[in-house]
Amino acid sequence: MSAEADALPVGIGVCDCLTPLGDAAATHAALLAGRRALEMRPVLGRDGGDAVPLALCAPMDETIPPRWLPDLRRLVARIPGDAWGTAARPVIITSSNFGVGSLHAFTRDRDSRHLRHGPPFACVEMLQREFGWGDHILLLSHACVSAQHGLLQAARLLHGGAAGRVLVVTFDFVSPFVAGGFSSLKILNAGWPAPYAVRESGSIGLGDGAAFAVLTREGGAFRLAAHALHNEMFHFTGNRPNGAGFDAIAAAIAGAAQGRRVWVKGHGTGTLEAGRLEAEAFARALPDAPLVSWKGSLGHTLGSCGLVELAITLAALRAGRVPGTVGSTAPCFTDNVALADFAAGEFDGVVLDSNAFGGAHAATLLTHD
Amino acid sequence: MIERRIQHLRVERPAATETVDAARDRLGPLFPRGALRRMTHLGLLVGATLDGLAIGADDTIVYATTYSETRALEDYLASFPTPSPLLFQTSIHPSAVQQVMIGRQQPVRRFLPLTGRRRLVEHALLAALLDPAPRVVLTGGEERGTWLLDHGVASDRAFAFALGLAACPGPGAIGRLAFTADPSAAAPESCPSLPDFADALAERRPLSWRGFGGEYALEWAA
Repeated sequence: MSAEADALPVGIGVCDCLTPLGDAAATHAALLAGRRALEMRPVLGRDGGDAVPLALCAPMDETIPPRWLPDLRRLVARIPGDAWGTAARPVIITSSNFGVGSLHAFTRDRDSRHLRHGPPFACVEMLQREFGWGDHILLLSHACVSAQHGLLQAARLLHGGAAGRVLVVTFDFVSPFVAGGFSSLKILNAGWPAPYAVRESGSIGLGDGAAFAVLTREGGAFRLAAHALHNEMFHFTGNRPNGAGFDAIAAAIAGAAQGRRVWVKGHGTGTLEAGRLEAEAFARALPDAPLVSWKGSLGHTLGSCGLVELAITLAALRAGRVPGTVGSTAPCFTDNVALADFAAGEFDGVVLDSNAFGGAHAATLLTHD
Repeated sequence: MIERRIQHLRVERPAATETVDAARDRLGPLFPRGALRRMTHLGLLVGATLDGLAIGADDTIVYATTYSETRALEDYLASFPTPSPLLFQTSIHPSAVQQVMIGRQQPVRRFLPLTGRRRLVEHALLAALLDPAPRVVLTGGEERGTWLLDHGVASDRAFAFALGLAACPGPGAIGRLAFTADPSAAAPESCPSLPDFADALAERRPLSWRGFGGEYALEWAA
């Protein structure tokens, strides 16, 4: 397989996110201060269960309308412009969950109103009515690389002449449906996530997250220069033990970053095997690039992590300071892991990496002046 | 205009009464034994349409489904308060294609799982046509739900389709997909639904409609 990234440079017009710590600037400041949004909470919400690390904007109860709608309203209010969802201004919505948590609520409460936003299309049609968007809304769902697929498709629409500007929106709010699933896999447990740290057992946290970006053909101060994808198709929840999948994605995006001084915003959920493979792959492909993960504070925002963390990255570049790997302590798998914050000014690019079920990988190169 | 030539076409439209066990019996020889026992109805149908298509590592797969893994989703929900890890991982949106490709142990560079309803077909075609890979596989389908169907949030029929799409004209092309950009186009017409698209493929029926930003066409060689 050729290890090449797709060079489809696009400008980032506006980009912001929402986490339990606030918008991108507030989240960035909290990360720099070492704050952890995760708190130990019952895995099944009001139905109880073991305490696991969850970072929530509001209690994890499925409500009617859904508990996450007010948060999305606040986020969408920051999106400039209008006529989204039309021929020249398509919207791409990505999520690994959409409103699936409401299906669990239906099985518990038997209130059919939960079903109105259960399937992805129904969830998005509700948002479409809420925000007055047109019908030209592409939906992508590829587990935890969903948002980066959305960014790539947006770049492709722009380069293919099929759009003038593209709005990419992503959201994933934790529910008992997904928390129960990760708990059943034993990777969401009573431990705090410590990405890339050498430990006896791994653990992740889950977090609410939503974000948007307006992408344009015109360059700006910040550009998405290239995208790389790889799907191992080795196992649903495991990676090739020799790290071939991580090496493929790291080599592809490193090729696109050649000649630049970059740092890497890694996936780093806190699992041991994938964390080690990711750290080792980037240590080989980009040996001078510091590697950080913020999921030790924010938890894993699932399909939205790629865009949520892009927004925080932009906030870090504007502020001139990159948060370190919050929640982790030495020793780490590799020497490239940056535990402490560092100055952004020494670099002119960032690699953003995400992984997902099925051995799916996505990496994006962000460049700036 | 951008276009791709159809070089592989297979459509599965099983009897409405077909169960996953019956599909496993009917289609079992197509899959590795180890993978077969965990495959869903949708995974089996998608896999059957991809049979005979040697998907290369640099090919792109575009996948379209509105409801995806309905039965795994139903069973996963029923497993609470002790959720099943197997059903959780099987219930994710791109699962059907992953079941097939993991069974084959075949990595692939680009895999784009789309969802949606009213314009899903249009968006899947656009993704397939804009992709730079020499060959794009466009596949999709649904499986029939049970209690979710009773509440109107699942497909009422099972089907799957797969198209092997080449960028260049070549021997053996049986049809083509095309998009002609027209930014001045009037308001879009309704887009074929995913089941309608699968039926048009099975019956080799042409389709054309004015979508967002231009005209879409499915045409067949004489």
